[in-house]
Amino acid sequence: MKKKYLSYIIAFLIIITLNFIVPRLLPGDPLNAIYGDEVLLKLSAETREYISSTYNLDKPILTQYLLYVTSIFKGNLGYSIYYKKPVIDLLLSYIPYTIILMGLAISISTLLAIVLGIESGWRRGKKLDKFILFLVIFSSSFPSFFIGACFLIVFGVLLNILPFQGARTMYSGLGSFGLSVDFLLHLILPLFSLVFVFLPSSYLLTRNSMISNLKEPYILLARAKGLKDTRIRYKHAGRNSLIPVATQTGLSLGTMIITGTIFIEIVFSYPGMGSLIYNSILNRDYPVIQGSFLFVAVLVLVINFLMDLFYVKLDPRIEYAY
Amino acid sequence: MHISLKQNIKKDKNAQVGLIIIIILLLFAVIAPFFTSDPQAFSKLILSEPGTGHYLGTNDLGQDIFSRLLYGLRTSMFVSISVGILATSISVFVGVCSGFIGGIFDTVVMRIIDAFLVMPTIIILILVSAFVKPNILSLVVMISLLHWQGGARIIRGQTLSLRERIHIYSARTFGAKKFYILARHIIPDLGNIIIVSFIQNARSAVFIEAGMAFIGVSSLTAISLGNIMHNAFKFYYLPVWLWWLLPAGILLSLILLSFTFLGNLMEKIIDPRLSNA
Repeated sequence: MKKKYLSYIIAFLIIITLNFIVPRLLPGDPLNAIYGDEVLLKLSAETREYISSTYNLDKPILTQYLLYVTSIFKGNLGYSIYYKKPVIDLLLSYIPYTIILMGLAISISTLLAIVLGIESGWRRGKKLDKFILFLVIFSSSFPSFFIGACFLIVFGVLLNILPFQGARTMYSGLGSFGLSVDFLLHLILPLFSLVFVFLPSSYLLTRNSMISNLKEPYILLARAKGLKDTRIRYKHAGRNSLIPVATQTGLSLGTMIITGTIFIEIVFSYPGMGSLIYNSILNRDYPVIQGSFLFVAVLVLVINFLMDLFYVKLDPRIEYAY
Repeated sequence: MHISLKQNIKKDKNAQVGLIIIIILLLFAVIAPFFTSDPQAFSKLILSEPGTGHYLGTNDLGQDIFSRLLYGLRTSMFVSISVGILATSISVFVGVCSGFIGGIFDTVVMRIIDAFLVMPTIIILILVSAFVKPNILSLVVMISLLHWQGGARIIRGQTLSLRERIHIYSARTFGAKKFYILARHIIPDLGNIIIVSFIQNARSAVFIEAGMAFIGVSSLTAISLGNIMHNAFKFYYLPVWLWWLLPAGILLSLILLSFTFLGNLMEKIIDPRLSNA
């Protein structure tokens, strides 16, 4: 585990350094990166100097780096040009939507994947198993934004049964009950697209480990004892098949899941981190791009780290694998 | 590890399908310029339905969607193959060096590999491209620089096990130099693992390039399937999605699907326990 800490520190340093260096890699003045090409033309020499000194751009590069790192630890991620707000406030107002969407999607997809995987592994080679397996492998190849776009067009536009943009109806003037129903309705399409995106990997894992578990001697014993099929399926084989699923969900939580959420949010204009990043790229709001990058990247690192700690507890064999 | 690839492909229907699709798509990508019109040519005919002259109609700028699809396919194929080659070369270089040299060097490299494994690579790519505005070549380099770690880890593990094998010892007793052992004994034995990491890198490169183009941070000049989908998606309220968004999405999914099939086959070859499942 000690070695692992070191990797996380290295990863953190790489991310912070990238965030510091990338804007400075651009040709021309760093002010270009902060304000875009157009604004720079209108600045007078004094204003430029003033801005340089407020952003510490006149100091040596190493001092700039140290100042940058300390300001991050103080929670200062810069100031949004487009929204005219500190970046940290923006992030904090967008992140709850992402957490709700992602949390629900992970819970539903993992539960569904476990049940499907157990049933499928139990019926290995039968029609139902083959059908589910084919469907899952097939759908796992659809990129998340394509799935989202298809769901949006089919359910939102063609059938016109669900709202498909944003998190609530604007200016609806609904009461608190109406608002929560409205919120839930807006959640359905992005949520189910995400479940669809997350399902395959956990399903395949459950099915595989179910199949290998069913060959173990303790299953034979359970059968010899005359236990019911459902009990063997869920209590014996099923429960033991969960370890790799938990590990995998934890490990992919950071990268795959956040990536998927970002794309789905962009498709449905759901006001989470994904939309924030997307809009700030469109608006060339560079401080927000940088700030949200740092926030998401560090979030992924923290989740991965917690999962690393957690699954050693779950499956002590992992500790010896290093 | 003397396993005949041919025989394994013969046994696996999915892999055959995947291989055939990839070959057909590659063929289309290569010969696209010979039977399509200029994908960038504008015309007054905007958002037209499929018909003669334009197999899949035209987009909002009056450009031929079919030609753009094939050029998008070219971009995807180019990115996937070049990232596959570049990222896998980095993996082989880092993994083999780390496994073969060992000691402190190995420890340091392993920590760096682990650090790359826990980082959200696609988010880093989005940040860097939002600033740097890459072209297709620099995009390939960037994706490769962030996708060598998985392969490097497996290759290092395999190198560690290979270098203790008896034929390596005997080669050493005959006075073989280190480089000779690496080039003639270790790297050839890594063959299947190298193919696996090539396929995985190629697959994720297709997805990442399309995804970045969908967000609008990929190369601005190249025609990409992701970019086509992004433009088509703006018109979701019109029936144009049927011949604009859908073909692009299906084409992209087909590429990913066939890479998945091939990848599954290769993983089975490396880890025979999987073939029972």
